[in-house]
Amino acid sequence: MKTLAAAMVFLGAASLAAQDAAIPPGAVNINLPDNSPLALKSFSMADSRAMARGAALALDLHMSATLVNNGSRRIHGVTLRVVAQEVTLGGKGSVTYPSLNVGPGESFQVRIDMQLMRPSQVIGAPLVQVDLDGVLFQDLSFFGPDRLNSRRTMTACEMEAQRDREYFKRILAQAGKGGLQRAMLESMARQSEVSQLAVSVKRSGRAVTSAAIGAEHEAEFAFLQFPDSPVEPVKGSARISGNEARTPLIEVRNKSNRPVKYVEMGWIVSDPSGKQYMAGSLPSADSDLILPPGQSARLLQETTLNFSAKGQPVNVRKMVGFVNQVEFADGKIWVPNRQNLDNAHLLNVLPASAEEQRLTDLYRKHGPDALVAELSKF
Amino acid sequence: MKHPSEEILALHAGGDLGWVARWKTARHLANCARCAAEVAANARFRETLPELNQTPEVPWNRIAAEMRANIRLGLAAGECVRPSGRPLRDSPLFTGARATLALASVLALMATGLMLEGPAPRMARPDEPVVQATVDGIQRRWGDQGFGLMHSGASSVTYTVGAQGTLGARYTDPETGNVTMTKVYVE
Repeated sequence: MKTLAAAMVFLGAASLAAQDAAIPPGAVNINLPDNSPLALKSFSMADSRAMARGAALALDLHMSATLVNNGSRRIHGVTLRVVAQEVTLGGKGSVTYPSLNVGPGESFQVRIDMQLMRPSQVIGAPLVQVDLDGVLFQDLSFFGPDRLNSRRTMTACEMEAQRDREYFKRILAQAGKGGLQRAMLESMARQSEVSQLAVSVKRSGRAVTSAAIGAEHEAEFAFLQFPDSPVEPVKGSARISGNEARTPLIEVRNKSNRPVKYVEMGWIVSDPSGKQYMAGSLPSADSDLILPPGQSARLLQETTLNFSAKGQPVNVRKMVGFVNQVEFADGKIWVPNRQNLDNAHLLNVLPASAEEQRLTDLYRKHGPDALVAELSKF
Repeated sequence: MKHPSEEILALHAGGDLGWVARWKTARHLANCARCAAEVAANARFRETLPELNQTPEVPWNRIAAEMRANIRLGLAAGECVRPSGRPLRDSPLFTGARATLALASVLALMATGLMLEGPAPRMARPDEPVVQATVDGIQRRWGDQGFGLMHSGASSVTYTVGAQGTLGARYTDPETGNVTMTKVYVE
């Protein structure tokens, strides 16, 4: 591993005794492997500050870097792993840039904004460690340690991107630029109407205390079935109490003729008025699941989810599940097609894919010609 | 000009000062840009810790009513054990057990009031790590420690929740134009 930017920095108690102090770039380590297809071209931490707030220390970090593609293949996604273990125990995150299209020798800018808070001052060590977790190429090959399963995440994003680009290209071919414009306007309207929940997640037990919590009961999932899905949900339930859902459990069966190693269920909840929200996803456990053809497995997570919207608790009345993602043992990924989502009216409940979001942003800012030019690149 | 201490400013930002101290601090802030900026910074800081603002309201009226009821109950109990042959109007107003009971009740009322109105900040301390969305980011909180990935300035942020204990945000970075997906982990 090669340390590209910066070294260990000593931010002792003395330097942070001041109420507000700048954080030097050396407070962040960016590690890219020697054989990485990415190289660091520039790095900045302008306006990053450490602030004493009573007995606590708040760190406001604004990192900006330019990365260059030193390899020979086009890059379609990058995931960085961000760890602040020395500052906040267990503080770990990731930043993924899907929907990239960076050719050999080309560069692109990434930004990471962080806020760290701890009760006392930092005595030493770098504040933040940024490592490369993975790079996804145009041909879906991958480079990186993949400690955060970024290969699966970025491949699924890429599959969705290919699906949605094909959809809009087909509209362009069939209905011209006017048809594409209508499709963009419909997509923007849909995106603005999707209701979002504020969800807090806790590993076990009940999440944040809420006035809406009542007696706990077992609620069953209803399922949406997709004809071409390699996996089918069989049954499922969760413990529901007011606006909290605990220990969701879904049994699935592999109806394909290939072994499956990962399944992710989408989870929709309805409030008492019937309004539907995308609550989250229920993945199989990280430890490798191998589900042979015809066999069943249970997806169980010992977590508690607390739902609210606009500051008010959202009581769970109904739950609907659907297969959102399947990874086969050979690493190939299945995602629902647009027809499946449309038939099940899920397009009005689910957020748009990263690629659809990017394309509508492009249309909004630069107009239909820029969108047509972008679609023609793929 | 004598400036309020940092602790006073932090308590003022959280609305945790008593009314006299609050009034004095507000008067100072009206004429001191430096302290006003400090209070604003503290207020912003509190926004990243939503549970600081989730302290349940103290039901003062109910507490006062319960204390008054307890005092009445004590007086009534004293009346019950009073020898029946002795007329009430013959006994002095504040003597013996009745005076002790009344004094103890008043002291208890004052002690409770001081304890609840005291200047110590009331911080909710989650006993387990929690991941949640904040005003402009997603964060993992555990006790006094926070780890947040921010998306300041981004519009149309989509949140994704993994039941295994993750929270993600997806947005278009207003500076780079890249779709960006951040994720924090409970463990």
